[in-house]
Amino acid sequence: MIRFEQVSKKYPSGQEALTDLSFELDAGEMAFVAGHSGAGKSTLLRLVALMDRATRGQITVNGQNLGKIRARKVPQIRRGVGMVFQDHRLLMDRSVFDNVALPLEIAGCTRDEIGKRVRAALDKVGLLAREASAPVTLSTGEQQRVGIARAIVGKPPVLIADEPTGNLDPMLSAEIMKLFAEFEQVGTTVLVASHDLNLIKRMNKRVLVLDHGKLIDDFRPAPVKTEVRA
Amino acid sequence: MNRRVAPAPAKPEKPVAPPAPRPPARGRPRIGAWREHHARSFRTSLHRLTERPGATTLTLLVMSLALCLPFLLWLLLDNARALGGHLDDARGIGVFLKPDIDAGAAKAFADTLRARSDVADVVIKTPEEGLAEFRSQSGFADALKVLQSNPLPTVLIVTPKATTMPNHSAPPIVDELAHDHHVDQVQYDALWRQRLDAILAFTARLAGVLAILLGLAALLVVGNTVRGDIAGRGEEISVMQLLGADRAFVRRPFLYTGLWYGALAGLVALILIAAVEIALSGPLGQLTASYGARFAIHDLSIVQALALLSTSIVLGWLGAWIATSRQLTLGHPQ
Repeated sequence: MIRFEQVSKKYPSGQEALTDLSFELDAGEMAFVAGHSGAGKSTLLRLVALMDRATRGQITVNGQNLGKIRARKVPQIRRGVGMVFQDHRLLMDRSVFDNVALPLEIAGCTRDEIGKRVRAALDKVGLLAREASAPVTLSTGEQQRVGIARAIVGKPPVLIADEPTGNLDPMLSAEIMKLFAEFEQVGTTVLVASHDLNLIKRMNKRVLVLDHGKLIDDFRPAPVKTEVRA
Repeated sequence: MNRRVAPAPAKPEKPVAPPAPRPPARGRPRIGAWREHHARSFRTSLHRLTERPGATTLTLLVMSLALCLPFLLWLLLDNARALGGHLDDARGIGVFLKPDIDAGAAKAFADTLRARSDVADVVIKTPEEGLAEFRSQSGFADALKVLQSNPLPTVLIVTPKATTMPNHSAPPIVDELAHDHHVDQVQYDALWRQRLDAILAFTARLAGVLAILLGLAALLVVGNTVRGDIAGRGEEISVMQLLGADRAFVRRPFLYTGLWYGALAGLVALILIAAVEIALSGPLGQLTASYGARFAIHDLSIVQALALLSTSIVLGWLGAWIATSRQLTLGHPQ
């Protein structure tokens, strides 16, 4: 679903954000990208969402070689990648419903479809009752959940999140992460960047550890069977 | 940890089944949704204009002034041409015969002129006819009553053949007539007419150049306004782009904004032009009356009004299009 082959990213400033990065994420797999700030986590996600292009190497997302995607086709690629941001980036002059509806509008759904799917997405994040609210009236955790609803409402095969719990307290963070894990279960490939190692450990998922733009560890959880039996 | 959401075992055989169906999430937007977005952009863009009445009014005024100036000039030109139209017969040479030449001699002289190869036509106006014309046209009827006798001479209107007349000089017959012993005075308006034509042509060109310059100004006004709109909504635009909005989608509401500016500015320009016409109609009416009402003021016709309106709309749309182009390239990966 997501494949990096010897990917390097060098910014025009000369800073090398990623060096020779290779990994592969299967469809329906969830992984964390861990590392200190500046390790290249955000850059990695930006490459997946085609917000930046790799300097070297090949990236494949949803079976598409991103290096060959021309500017005109970028929007189509992005529609296949749900994005969650640290600061949620909701549009404050629109209601919760309209925020979540935006990806569907963009994708060309009609009003009827939008209504159904937005409510389904809001239900999933537990905010169905707040659809008419303005985002400012919600708590930070709720706002982030609206952001997640917006990311998944179009049912993208890939979901990426950049420090989605960066502004949340530990309890809310755990809730949000559990939400991501649920999407993995419906077959979505989920890639979450986070520096919260405690939280990542508890999730017991695959972890790609970056340091200074290099992949220094690709940790896969030990047999999960015990976990399941428990 | 919540058991219910315990992670699925990381078995080698992953659930490769594609995620739930998402037919419209990619590919081309469907026509119904496309129409809905147009309708919504149409409404919300107008709504945004009304949210900032001050800025909108200023933009509209600048734009409409830029639009109505060349149109006013054209209108003036149109009327000047209409005035000039009455001088079509200016190609004719007015030959005032000496007072002592009677009708018979005048006719004989006219016949000799008619026989010339460079003369197309000769019309005789007897003093009586001249007086009648004078009475009916120039508002001198009362003054003429005072006269004991008819002071007017016989006049021949000689129309030279067009081919014999080079562009910018009087035909030779004018000079010959002036020296003929029957003739008191020769009046030849064609030179005057040519100068008028030249002035009108120059004014038309001036109006054209002004129209282009001011149209450009209108374009920039809209472009700059929309650019300001875009700057204020940068976050919204970049979020939409991240969610996969293509150029057309992001651009649409701004194009409608430009369209509204164009349409409204066009209407304001029409109102301004109407106001100018009303303001000028009084003095102009007196002026035309003094010409014996031989020509009427041409108002802006429906066709011209529609032309102004559509020009304005196109300029507004184009200005918005240019302004959005730059912004849209920013949302793309390097």
